[in-house]
Amino acid sequence: MANYNTNEFRSGLKLMIDGDPCSIVENEVVKPGKGQAFNRIKIRNLKTGRVVERTYKSGESVEAADVMDTDLQYLYNDGEQWHFMHPETFEQMAADKTAVGDANLWLKEQDMCTVTLWNGNPLAVTPPNFVVLTVADTDPSLKGDTSGGGGKPATLETGAVVQVPLFIAIGEELKIDTRTGKYVSRAKD
Amino acid sequence: MNQWQPSASFELIRLRADTLRTIRSFFHQNNVLEVDTPSLSSATVPDPFIESFQTRYVPLTQTMQTDDFYLHTSPEFPMKRLLAAGSGSIFQISKVFRQGESGKKHNPEFTLLEWYRDGWDHQQLMTEVNQLFTLLLSPHLDLAETRFVTYEDAFQEMLGINPHTADKKELLACTEKAGLANVLDEDEERDRFLELLFSHIIEPALGKSNKGDSGSKPCICFLYHYPASQASLAKTNNHNGQLVAERFEVFIDGMELGNGFHELNDANEQRQRFENDNQARKLLGLKEIPMDEHFLEAVAELPDCAGVAIGIERLLMVMSESRHINDVITFPFDRA
Repeated sequence: MANYNTNEFRSGLKLMIDGDPCSIVENEVVKPGKGQAFNRIKIRNLKTGRVVERTYKSGESVEAADVMDTDLQYLYNDGEQWHFMHPETFEQMAADKTAVGDANLWLKEQDMCTVTLWNGNPLAVTPPNFVVLTVADTDPSLKGDTSGGGGKPATLETGAVVQVPLFIAIGEELKIDTRTGKYVSRAKD
Repeated sequence: MNQWQPSASFELIRLRADTLRTIRSFFHQNNVLEVDTPSLSSATVPDPFIESFQTRYVPLTQTMQTDDFYLHTSPEFPMKRLLAAGSGSIFQISKVFRQGESGKKHNPEFTLLEWYRDGWDHQQLMTEVNQLFTLLLSPHLDLAETRFVTYEDAFQEMLGINPHTADKKELLACTEKAGLANVLDEDEERDRFLELLFSHIIEPALGKSNKGDSGSKPCICFLYHYPASQASLAKTNNHNGQLVAERFEVFIDGMELGNGFHELNDANEQRQRFENDNQARKLLGLKEIPMDEHFLEAVAELPDCAGVAIGIERLLMVMSESRHINDVITFPFDRA
């Protein structure tokens, strides 16, 4: 397995730390005028999402993590696993609940997602930044209220619950920002 | 942002100009002579943790490569040669170069203010550094009273260990408690453990506004009497029964700004330290550095004196509350 020297550290670099794949969030060189230099890094554990700090003596090597992002199309959920397909090779891949995590709230069949692979297996799923989802349930709409003031909860086809303006009705298609989980607008065709 | 443009604002470019003018007039008023020494030198510092840029001199009419030269990492050696030759107190503002030092607080080329006081010791020099810093900083920052703390007291206060006497077991336990387990191998030298604890736990707290006190201010903080093993080019002496280096560093708001010595003027001791440095370089797999014989000859003639080097960019960062060194440099390394 490849190694990275501390002088190659930069944000986004993937390392194996305590047996888990991690991504460098921030790298800081700690170098006194006189004495040993260290690299202090903030790393995100790609399995748990937790961010922790680590220090290495400058010049040391750390094992690289075989992690890559790939764009796959979401096909369906069989109740236990979420199935994805490569749009060109048609190769299929299944991700479990741990890998999918909160992304399941935004996964809509046929949408393209970023699937992070570790040693070839799905480690995490990132939905598109914006998705269009249909309102499955919400309180009756207040016709004429287009002011945007106030709001109400709406349950979407995927089960996600978002705050929407009062004028939104069941069956409407909404554009949602998956990074914030917030309503953006009605979907425009 | 376009890479051809400066990364510093014109406000901070002006701040640098004003600061350099104030420094020059401060030394002029105190009868300290401004000098200029070479940046390019046939010898350099053998310190295993400072790497010099290396280059070659090629005579005009031939393409054959000749002798190696180094860009200086500080003007210390030639300035001491001037002192040994009888210059009296001197100062210099120069660009210096250090390999590999790049980051939020480092640029491989940076500006050093270095000065020497003939007949002074490190305690007197700390007082003068404090005067100059107060003069430069007070128009920009509301500073609390300056602190003078020994290296030992800082370790006792923040980590509960004596840095001069703690054994390897204590140091290992201390790094573990500080969340820095496994950074260093057990067989590393004591000083590496002290440096790790120092740079991660102690330095970030030096000169910081007091914890919890919301209205509190940063201060200038001097740390002095380093372990004798970290003497570098400072004299060592007994203080309260402990052999320590007569060396100090100055910090503001958790950032190192400078390093000073009561200068070693024992040429044999200096040669021995350089040889130890080269020994350490060999163990680290680094190239050995040729002895600077001009400097070693001058050390024998060096008057009793104290010297200090201050990073001008760091000073400007403090004055302007900048978080990145690029904010105070016109064209940092990556766009130079």
